[in-house]
Amino acid sequence: MAQTQITPEALRDDRRLPKAPEPGAMVIFGASGDLTRRKLIPALYDLAAQRRLPMEFAVVGLSRSPMSHEEFRDRLRDALEEQRDGGVSDDVWESFSKGIFYLAGDSRKPETYEELRGFLGELDEERGTQGNRMFYLSSSPSLFPTIVERLGEAGMNQGEGGGYARIVIEKPFGRDLMSARELNAGIQRYFEERQIYRIDHYLGKETVQNILALRFANGIFEPIWNQHYVDHVQITVAEDIGVGTRGAFYEEAGALRDIVQNHLMQVLCLTAMEPPVAFDAESVREEKVKVLRAVRRMDDGEVERSAVRGQYERGWVWGEEVPGYREEEDVDPSSTTETFVALRLFVDNWRWAGVPFYVRAGKRMPKKATEIAVQFHAAPHTPFSRNGTEGLEPNVLVIRVQPDEGVSLKIGAKVPGSGFEVRSVNMDLLYGSAFLEEAPDAYQRLLLDLMLGDPTLFIRADETEGAWSILEPVMKHWSESGEIPFYPAGTWGPEEADELPERDGRGWRRP
Amino acid sequence: MIGESRAIPEGGGAMSVAEIERGLARLRANDDGTLGARASVLNLIVVTDEESAEGVARIINELSGRYPSRALVMIADPEEGRTNLEIGLSVFCNTRGGAGTNVCAEVVTIHVEGPPAEHLESLAGPLLIPDLPVFLWYPNGDIPASPRCDGMAALAGRIVLDTGAVEDTEGSLRAVAELVSYEETPAVGDLQWAALSTWRSLVADLFAPPERACELGKIRRVEVQYAPDARSRALLFSGWLSSCLGWRPESASRAENGGRELVFSGPSGPVTVRLTPNESDAALRRVRIFCDDEYTFEVSRSRESTDARSAVLRGDEVVGERTVHLGPSDTGALLGEELRLVGRDEVYEAALRRAVEILGR
Repeated sequence: MAQTQITPEALRDDRRLPKAPEPGAMVIFGASGDLTRRKLIPALYDLAAQRRLPMEFAVVGLSRSPMSHEEFRDRLRDALEEQRDGGVSDDVWESFSKGIFYLAGDSRKPETYEELRGFLGELDEERGTQGNRMFYLSSSPSLFPTIVERLGEAGMNQGEGGGYARIVIEKPFGRDLMSARELNAGIQRYFEERQIYRIDHYLGKETVQNILALRFANGIFEPIWNQHYVDHVQITVAEDIGVGTRGAFYEEAGALRDIVQNHLMQVLCLTAMEPPVAFDAESVREEKVKVLRAVRRMDDGEVERSAVRGQYERGWVWGEEVPGYREEEDVDPSSTTETFVALRLFVDNWRWAGVPFYVRAGKRMPKKATEIAVQFHAAPHTPFSRNGTEGLEPNVLVIRVQPDEGVSLKIGAKVPGSGFEVRSVNMDLLYGSAFLEEAPDAYQRLLLDLMLGDPTLFIRADETEGAWSILEPVMKHWSESGEIPFYPAGTWGPEEADELPERDGRGWRRP
Repeated sequence: MIGESRAIPEGGGAMSVAEIERGLARLRANDDGTLGARASVLNLIVVTDEESAEGVARIINELSGRYPSRALVMIADPEEGRTNLEIGLSVFCNTRGGAGTNVCAEVVTIHVEGPPAEHLESLAGPLLIPDLPVFLWYPNGDIPASPRCDGMAALAGRIVLDTGAVEDTEGSLRAVAELVSYEETPAVGDLQWAALSTWRSLVADLFAPPERACELGKIRRVEVQYAPDARSRALLFSGWLSSCLGWRPESASRAENGGRELVFSGPSGPVTVRLTPNESDAALRRVRIFCDDEYTFEVSRSRESTDARSAVLRGDEVVGERTVHLGPSDTGALLGEELRLVGRDEVYEAALRRAVEILGR
């Protein structure tokens, strides 16, 4: 009879019901590592508890250490218990963990992939994962090219029986432009770009996405968001912590690779991009790439003038004396690795011509703050007396990403009294605290997007390469000179950084 | 959520609109002279009675984190001969924002007796914050007449009702169906329907894999077990399934245990939906869907747990299962879900119409 009248979406065509991901299996390479325990499994557990994981879902951890499925599950549960302080439901864990498996294997060896493929085939049969595969590369970055190659050789770059295959790459996306290109080319040899999900968890943060909401859901900002009205833009990504136990990693990375190439460039893109025609992967990422393409490349002379690095030395942060970078664990006592970067960038397009973007990122700053400050031109003429407007400064719109998410607008207002004295007043709009609901963890959001096949908040190949190509001349210049300026921990960077805006008659604002 | 409640208690007698606004602003002022910012995303008017007022106030405070609003709590007694108006003000200031900044939500409680109680809109209207949506909530099962006759309904962009709050569930469902049939009626929500979202999502998930979607056309029998005070949910659930799957109502009969047996005509033959009351803490206890091949689909909630188990069975063999949190289903959470929505909920209206239609057979 007329059974075909009922569409598969008959029960789901309803705005109250969330979109459900298809069945699938997620393979985590480097599963014994920290990321799996601290981020991936907790995020998947929360998705499971909140009914966002399909019944037919499996996680396969792959790593070299020998372990049984049960041991792997126990380790993950212990880590989750520790993180949640007992807030783990036995029933939900029991049901979720039945879909967690472990394979011991060397990800460099082809036979591991034969075994993996066979195992995933069994899961398709037993758990109904329907040939859909997600490969999460959370192993050492040096293994990424090999894993991709082995997956491709084993034919696992396609899902089984019409299912999908998606691959997730954790940052760093290379160490420089050349290695990023090599990595991208290596992955693209086997996977199409639409299958590749480069994850920068920064984009999964609710507060970062709010930059887009503020700009593109409000009609009053866009008309003045350009060189006619904006004098300059400052972007700050400051941390108050030092490198802690990550000394060895940081020695290789430095602030430029750790923060500027990814997080800071993403914030720059979101601040400067044109309005996308739709909030979908291609429209949003295309506009971001256009910003990166428009950023003026620096020559050697320009690097001298517009790029400053620094390294923290012993100092005081929030009442505590903290060691200098060279005194940190696993750090070379004569290291020249930068813990602070400040750049003056120009986005050479119609909207931003001539508007400097002063950007900085650093560790051991006086406080943790991520913010974008858009300073507008001063009023062209003030009819009030000079004496009355001494305290008046140009309008500044500050978008605070964290902490205390919100917007501040500095505006001129009359001081009550018989004269006409005008002073600047900061108007704070803490929209972040208007909604007190806890925002979902960035990984939770991004893993769900991955399962739903929505790469909007993931990084496209040309974004990674665009960001590296902007920084390439800076890295080259710095690698050739051994001198690095120092700044005491608990300050806003070396004096040289202050000179960047000062030379243009401007100054850094204090976040 | 960290916050503090500040109040000017009732007893001030009648206050003017300007006095109320000034009073609220004073309450937002902090000890150090700074002013707590007022964050508002909506106006919420609550029409309630003396006994429920305290519970309503608690829910509004809880919700202020997610839906900072100006709430107008109207406690009306038109039966009282003498006109009397008492107004109380309170603000709930949340302090999580850091930097010592408060963000406050406001509550105006209006006790009104005598003739003005018949004209609540004249009191509520001037106190609404401009440019923000207006939600009108009847927590006690009252159902307004059409906006043409009811000035309060005319103020609202969305009316939130509770068809489970009265004994006569079926009469309540009929009255809501009549209300939504008027063209001028704003969007209508029902807390009993909001409570079904999770269950509907779990049932939809069971049929999500492509190879199971075809089972939707083979459903022969559905069993719904519900707590006696959740009859409205059971009826709306049946209405939902039948309207989504194109089943035509044929007949309804009462069962001995107080339940109902509904018969629909489905695409591949008759479908029986049996609604069975069950002494249980859980409003909905279990939904089982039997197909005319060997598949059974089941969502159930155990008595003591807030988790739900979904399962797919082939014969007696479990071929798939999962356990998930059902999430909070207290009145505050359900109201919160209703406040999230703007515009008419066509899926609800279709389910409601179908439920009323089958009850009339």
